[in-house]
Amino acid sequence: MKFRLKRTLTLALMAAVFAGAPVFAQAASTMTDAHIARIKANCQTALATLSQIHTNDSPIYINRNQMYFSISDKLMARLNSRLTLNRYDATQLVKTASDYNAALTDFRTAYKNYDNSMTTALGIDCTKQPVGFYDAVIDVRTAREQVRTSSDKLSSLIAQYQQQVQQFKDQHFSSQTNEAKS
Amino acid sequence: MNESLPTPELQVSKPWYRKELVIFVGGSIVIAFLLVVASMAMYTSSGDSLLDASRPGFKSIQKEVDQSDTFEAFSTDGPVDASTIDQFQQLYAKQVKSVSNSNVFDNSALSDQALGIDDPSVTTVQNQ
Repeated sequence: MKFRLKRTLTLALMAAVFAGAPVFAQAASTMTDAHIARIKANCQTALATLSQIHTNDSPIYINRNQMYFSISDKLMARLNSRLTLNRYDATQLVKTASDYNAALTDFRTAYKNYDNSMTTALGIDCTKQPVGFYDAVIDVRTAREQVRTSSDKLSSLIAQYQQQVQQFKDQHFSSQTNEAKS
Repeated sequence: MNESLPTPELQVSKPWYRKELVIFVGGSIVIAFLLVVASMAMYTSSGDSLLDASRPGFKSIQKEVDQSDTFEAFSTDGPVDASTIDQFQQLYAKQVKSVSNSNVFDNSALSDQALGIDDPSVTTVQNQ
């Protein structure tokens, strides 16, 4: 009975080791010895640079998040509310504002993931685990790319809302505008 | 008439606070600890911690964070006409200018070369 239990545990342990192996093997198979040696040699510099980027990104995120939120809360939502109160059809503007709020949530989630992956990378001792560190840096890049994508999406929705406001104006007040011009 | 009278029980004066006080103080500490753990978990999981510039290691960036609330809001009251929309458009264009820079969060700062962890054999081949 004891022997059977030991054998099962040993097999389970081996399975776990082999299941986890491809994660590191993927990067390790493409990394040369010179590359690994370089990571070990420049470990402290790389960690210091990453830490500086992490610190610099923080105020950018805080300021951007505040601005993005204010654009939604103090401009989009207020115009939509005013148009609706005056019985105008603001369906398109409301939809864009809703998409914008969803994109803002995605932006916050993406930054949170980026911050987590950055913290993981900064916690790895690259002199002892150069391959694991390199993998973590790749994860950080992917997460940062995601933050940039969500930031670009917000920018495009800001521009879209601006265009729709212009369309709304052309649709409802083109005569007033022409009168004012003449 | 030899009735047996109930003998008064011997009352030992026990300090009133001994058990209750220990339970009260211990319970308060446990409840406070649980509340702190729960609030810290919420603070971290909600992402609010990322907006906190007073975190350890982030004090140097406090002056870079815009703490003034100068964002001008659009009024929800009043009629809507062409001038109202013009007013909104001017305000909108002014406020979105600060987030129009799309180069933030680009990956160039995280490249292998920037971090000094590029493969020397690849760099040598490229230079040749």
